[in-house]
Amino acid sequence: MSLYELQKLIYHVNRDETQRERYRHDPAAFISGYDLTEREASAALDLDIRTLYMLGVHSLLLRPFTLIHKVPNEDYAKALAGLD
Amino acid sequence: MSIVFACAASHAPGITAWTEAAPKEQADKIIGSYHRLQGMLDATRPDVLLAISVEHWANFFLNHMPTFCIGRADHYYGPVEEWLRIAKRRIPGDAQLSAQLLDHCLESGFDLSYSDELLFDHATMLPIHFLTPRMEIPVVPLILNTLTPPMPSPKRCHTLGRVLGAALEKESKRVAIVATGGLSHWPGEAKHGKINIPFDKRFLDILTTGDRSQLAQYTHEEISREAGSGGHEIRTWITLAGALPDWKATVLAYEPVVPWATGCGVVAFSRP
Repeated sequence: MSLYELQKLIYHVNRDETQRERYRHDPAAFISGYDLTEREASAALDLDIRTLYMLGVHSLLLRPFTLIHKVPNEDYAKALAGLD
Repeated sequence: MSIVFACAASHAPGITAWTEAAPKEQADKIIGSYHRLQGMLDATRPDVLLAISVEHWANFFLNHMPTFCIGRADHYYGPVEEWLRIAKRRIPGDAQLSAQLLDHCLESGFDLSYSDELLFDHATMLPIHFLTPRMEIPVVPLILNTLTPPMPSPKRCHTLGRVLGAALEKESKRVAIVATGGLSHWPGEAKHGKINIPFDKRFLDILTTGDRSQLAQYTHEEISREAGSGGHEIRTWITLAGALPDWKATVLAYEPVVPWATGCGVVAFSRP
C-alpha cells in the first residue's frame, strides 16, 4: 500500500491544471504513472469514493477530487455512509 | 502600543460560497459580526495585518509539510478556489515585517519555515475579504499545520503566540491580527455536518472568561474526538490568545451553521 503515491496523484490532479488535463485526456495512462497497488489504481480509476476514503486519502484531497468529477454533496455523503 | 486590533473568526467557505444555504438569521449574525470587526479594524488604522492561518493543500503536500510557515513575500495571490465567490486578487505583503518576525522567532527558539511565494485559500482569503475588502492593508501570513498529523501542540502554539506578541508590541508599525479557523467541523469526512456545540461553547468560555492557560492543555486526541479534523484549526486562536494574555475577548457571534457544516465563531479582542 502506498498511500503517499495515491494522495500525490490526487493532489496533482487537484492543484495542477496541466496534470488535470493529462488526467482527463487519459485517466488510465495518468494513473499508471504512479506507484500504486492494484486496489489503489482501480479505486482511483473507478472513482470508488468509499474505498479511497477507507484507504486513508485525506478528506480535503478526496472531496475536491470528487468535485472535479462533479459529484454532488448528497452522493459524496452517501458513499461514506456508515464509516467512522 | 503596536498591536492595535485583534480578532479570531471561522472561515467556513459556505460563508461566501453558499451563503443562502444557511438560515438567514444565522448567516446575518456571522456576516454581520465580520462587518463589525471590519469597522473596528478600520478605526485602528493598522499598517499591517498578521493572519495566523492554516491551509488545505494549497501550498504544501506531504513531500514537505512545515509545522509553522511564515510568508515573506511582497505579495500573494488568492483565493485558489474558483467557487468561493471571492474574486481572485493580488494581496500586498510586508516582507520586511515578515523577515523581522522570522528572525525574532529563530532567536527565540522557534525554527519557523518561510516561503517567498504562497497562495491563499479560503482560510486566509475569506477573513481578509471581510476585514479589508479593498485588500490594501499588507498581510503577513503565518500558516500553522493543522491539516495532517503530527501537528504543533496547542501548548507549543500558545508559546509561539507569546513570542510573537513580545515582538509585535515592540514594533513601530500598527499591527492588526486575525486568527482564522475552527470551530468544530469534520469537513469531507463521514461525519461531515456534525457540530459539537458544547465543545465550541466551552472553548469560547475559556477564551472569554476562563483561565486561558487551559487553552494550552488541549490535546490532539481530544480535539480530534470532540471537534473533528477541522477543529484542529483552533490552534490559530490559541496562538493569538498566547500573544495577548491580558486582552479581553468578546464573542460577537457563535452559530452552529449546519448547511456550512461548521460551528462558526467570531470574537473580538480589546486591550485592557
